[in-house]
Amino acid sequence: MLVYDPSTNPLNNNEWSFPLLEIIHIASFAVSVGTIAVVDLRLLGLGMRRQSSAQLLKDTAPWTLIALAIVLMSGPMIFSSDPNMYLNNPGFIFKMEALLVAIVYNYTIHRKVAQSNPSPVVGALVGGVSLALWVSVVFGGLFIAFT
Amino acid sequence: MSVLSFAQWVQSTAFFTALRGSAYVYPIVLSTHMIAIALFGGMILLLDVRLLGWTMRSYTLSEMVNQLRPLKRIGFLLLITCGLLMAGCKAEEYYYNAFFRTKMTLLALVGVHALIFRRGVYRNTAALDGAPRIPAQAKLAASLSLILWTSLVIAGRGIGYIEPPLDKIHARLFAVPGAAAPAIASKAVPPDRRF
Repeated sequence: MLVYDPSTNPLNNNEWSFPLLEIIHIASFAVSVGTIAVVDLRLLGLGMRRQSSAQLLKDTAPWTLIALAIVLMSGPMIFSSDPNMYLNNPGFIFKMEALLVAIVYNYTIHRKVAQSNPSPVVGALVGGVSLALWVSVVFGGLFIAFT
Repeated sequence: MSVLSFAQWVQSTAFFTALRGSAYVYPIVLSTHMIAIALFGGMILLLDVRLLGWTMRSYTLSEMVNQLRPLKRIGFLLLITCGLLMAGCKAEEYYYNAFFRTKMTLLALVGVHALIFRRGVYRNTAALDGAPRIPAQAKLAASLSLILWTSLVIAGRGIGYIEPPLDKIHARLFAVPGAAAPAIASKAVPPDRRF
């Protein structure tokens, strides 16, 4: 296992740093997943139907990206508080796999399809898969504490 | 009936006793609560930044407010349902939890916010669309909304960090014999370092 002593990590030596980091992580994943979900719901035909998915994607993308960057910075910091626990946690492993797929999917298939203002069937499929992937990431995150 | 005895009665009902004892249902409810935060939180933010005029200016306020309203309602319903299920499980413990009380106060303030700004902003978007600039009232509504919802997330996360007064409470999560799941507390921070 890693030769690293988490007890030297400031996160484990300060009452407020860990919860603060969690709050930043939660607030920023709410923004990133939430803005992606707005595009997904449009692709599914469930909301914001007066705008095209291409328009919505264009307007939400900067917010998604900034929030995702904050999530991807706060996440590894949380991980650093106890790497061995996380690496042996099935919830965490699942989350990382789902996250990798979700990010790659979001910036390839999801983006291409949303930009092309797809037919309802294709849109629903692509939006549905995107929602399912991001929901899996959040579920995996929660189950870290329970597995 | 005092608030405390009401809380004790709620958590002692068969429904919440079963929910508390299930090693799977509670985490699923909690996860669904987080999902709802993500979906709902993103929409609140988009609407608020639009009201502030920071982004999405190609959309009229009417389009934003009216199109997001049904989605926000669904998200809010999901949030409240999951929240009630979790609160019912540990009602007595939460009675003593300062962050839980803060969160409920903030939730009440969200209601007050809605009542105050409903007429001038959220139900008045047609008039706002025609205004040359976004009125100060709309910007105030958006700023307060952002502050309230961020505070709700902070208070919500804080709930899990307060150790329940074990000498006073009568039920803990997964306390049913045979349920082997650990307590809800994050394993990342050892108990002695949590506050």
